[in-house]
Parts: sequence; C-alpha cells; structure tokens
Amino acid sequence: MAKTKTILKIEDMTKRYGSKTVLKNASLSLNEGELKILIGPSGGGKSTLLQCINFLVKPNSGRVWLDGKEIIHSRKKELYAYRQRVGMIFQDFNLFDHLTVLENVQIALVKVKKRGKEESRTRAVTELERVGLADHITKYPAQLSGGQKQRVSIARALAMDPEVMLLDEPTSALDPELISEVLDVIRDLRLNGMTMIMSTHQIGFASELADELVFLENGSILETGPPKKMFSNADCERTREFCSKITELYGNSF
Amino acid sequence: MEELFFIRFEVMPSLLEGLLVSIKLIIPSAFFGLVIGIIVGALRVYGNTFLKKVADGYVLIFRGFPLVVQLFIWYFGFPHIGIYFSPFVASVIAFSMCSGAYHSEYIRGAFLSVKTGQTMGAKALGFSKLKMIRFITLPQAFRRALPGCGNEIIYLIKYSSLAYMITCIELTGQGKIIASDTFKFTEIFMIIGAIYLFLTTIATWILHRVENRLRLPGFESYRT
Repeated sequence: MAKTKTILKIEDMTKRYGSKTVLKNASLSLNEGELKILIGPSGGGKSTLLQCINFLVKPNSGRVWLDGKEIIHSRKKELYAYRQRVGMIFQDFNLFDHLTVLENVQIALVKVKKRGKEESRTRAVTELERVGLADHITKYPAQLSGGQKQRVSIARALAMDPEVMLLDEPTSALDPELISEVLDVIRDLRLNGMTMIMSTHQIGFASELADELVFLENGSILETGPPKKMFSNADCERTREFCSKITELYGNSF
Repeated sequence: MEELFFIRFEVMPSLLEGLLVSIKLIIPSAFFGLVIGIIVGALRVYGNTFLKKVADGYVLIFRGFPLVVQLFIWYFGFPHIGIYFSPFVASVIAFSMCSGAYHSEYIRGAFLSVKTGQTMGAKALGFSKLKMIRFITLPQAFRRALPGCGNEIIYLIKYSSLAYMITCIELTGQGKIIASDTFKFTEIFMIIGAIYLFLTTIATWILHRVENRLRLPGFESYRT
C-alpha cells in the first residue's frame, strides 16, 4: 500500500435521542484516497454517523480528527472551516431552491470562501461540466430531474475542494433509470482518488469500488472488511444474513 | 355647482396637504416595519433562548397594546422620562414597531416553512448561521411571507389615520378639521375614504408587481 496517510479519524461517536441510542461508540478511520461504504438496514445509524462526522447532528460524545488535527465543534470558526473541507451529499440533494444551478455551485465560493465572482463562476462552470450539466446552468432546481439535481449537488461539493466527501445514500431518492448517471460520477471521483465515505444500498457498486464495507446495525458497527470477505464469508452471522438478503434483491456483481 | 367649487378650492387643497403627510408617514413606517419584522422574525426562529424570549416579548407587547395607546405612550409618555418626539416621529416609531410585530409573525411562519434540508445543505458547505439566513433561508422565506406582509402594509396605510390623535395632522386629521368647520361630514369623509382606497389599490398593484418579479420556478405555487 502506497497511500496510508490517515485523513479522517472518528473515535467513539455516540448519539442519543432521549433514551434511545442511535449511534454507539462508532470508530472509523479513513486513509487518503480510500472509499468506505456503510451498509446495513435503514435506521441502523448510517445517516446519523455521516451527519455526526460533520456535526450536522451534534454527537453526545466522540472525537473527530481531520488530517491529524482534532476538531472541536463548539468553536464556531473551526467548525465552519472544517465543514468547508468535508463535502456532503444528501439523499434528497438539498439544492438551494431559489438559486439557479450555477448560483448553487457558486454561492459558497463567493460567500463562504470569499472568492471573486468571476473566479467562482469559472470554477462552478468547470465543476458543472465535469458532471455533464454545462447546458443546464441557468435552470432552477425545480426544472431538473433527480439525477441532474444530485449531480449539481456533487458539483457544488467539489467546487469547495473537499479533502473528504460524505455521501448519504446519494441514489436512494432516484428513479432506477437515473441511478447510473449519479453512480458514474461517483465512480469517476473514486478513480480520481477522492477520499469518501458513502452509505448506500447499491450493493453492486459497493462491492465493485469499495476498499472496505462497514456494516452498521442498531447504531453499532458490527463488522468491517473488504467487500469480498463481507459477501462471501463474513465473521458475523448478522452481516452474512444481511449481505445475502441484499444480494438476492439487488444482484451481485461478482 | 357651489358644492363643487367648495370641494375643488377649499376641501381638496387641505386634503392633498394631509395626503402628503400620510404618505410621508406610510413609506418610512412600511420600510422600518418590514426591516424590524425580518430581524425579529429571524431571531424568533434562529435566535438563542435569550434572544427568542426578548423577540417574543416584543411581539407580545406590540401586538397586544392597542395602537392608539402605543401612540399616546410614545408621544405623551416618553416626555416624562425626558425623551421628546415630534408628533410625526412618534407616529413613525409607533407604526414601525407595531407593524414590525405583525410582520415578524408572517416572516417567522415563512422561515419555519423552509425545508430543513436547505439549512443542512448550507451548513454542510461551511455557512455560518448569519450567512445561511442572509443568503439561503431569508430569500426563500421572504418570497413566501410577501402576501402576508403585503396585507400588513395595506393595513398600515389605513391605521396611519390614527396619527392625528397625537396631533400629527395627516389626511384624516385634515378631513376632521374641515368637516368640523363646515359640518359636511358625509361628503368629506367619503372623499377621504376614496383616497385611502386609491392608496391601497396602488399598494396592492405594487405588491403584485414585486411578487411577480420575485417569482421563480419552484416558488410559483404561492400565488394563483
């Protein structure tokens, strides 16, 4: 292994809502250029884990390091700077409804990163070309298909030059036909060496591209391993059960 | 014929003078009211516990006190603690503060109707709270609040007629003076009513224009 530099490290992340613990002592570390895929049943804590990583959900306990530096989320300035370095893709896109495609990608560059208008525009157009949406820059989110919206949101995240990307079920809200256009973009990112954590039910995609699968259930990480092992002979009984069910349902790419 | 001359040369000049005062009251009050409403509305949704309480308290008082009472307090009350306002300034303050309280309620509702995904998207990009409100949620909330805020502005046009209670002689005040002098209450107040109707019609037209200007794909369903 040439690349072993740890970019992101999470330790003992716990989140409780009232008496219900939705995330229990989750620990994870992510090397440069690595893709880890979170799998597991809905409500298992995948989204919560991803949202705790960039503190969209404030964990009850747990520590996060980015590039060796611990992030203290109560220090606002540090938190905002950290979030600029960690891109996030949501299940339901969360594009800004009142802005055009171009403005969606541009706005954080101008208002958060304080870049010049022209420079930001050029960058935004480049990112939109990369995801194949150069012809749609003047449209509003309401005028796009789901797959296009998700690609805009990827362009929006990429324009910030993130060191890590968190993808929270990026294809779950899409029509089956549109899934592949988004997965193609993510595959490109992967091949260009972007470091990512992604939760998904697209098991074929996961087994093809992931370095490691992380199985989460009831808020706990039950097992972690390379896709081949997870699908063929996982250590944990529950992992085997889940993997065989989901393979039956979505097909296997092995 | 005599009547027409009377209206043309005696009633209209002083009513127009009053109308000018009314307009001078309405425009700054509408502006400051809206600004106060936006700030207070945002505080009530995004503020910390303390600021929320303060903003809620403001709305409670300024929506709860009758407007005439508020006018009296600004004009007759404050001199007791050494603060003097001219009738005009006292009226603008009272109207802005009262209007702001009502606006804040429309704005608050509109902020609450912005999907949480919008704030998540902004936060994930590193927006601070203030920037998120300024650039993401306010532009959306404002579009949704506009019909309600327009309603409040129309209402302001009419309650500006209370200014004459603290000797700020605007349209209604002028009318009352002439009517008392001439005993032609019906004619004069009919004319005044028509002038207010004219003002509200213009305001409605402007507000529709603004709504149309701000209309975007995805936001068109808020007006038919």
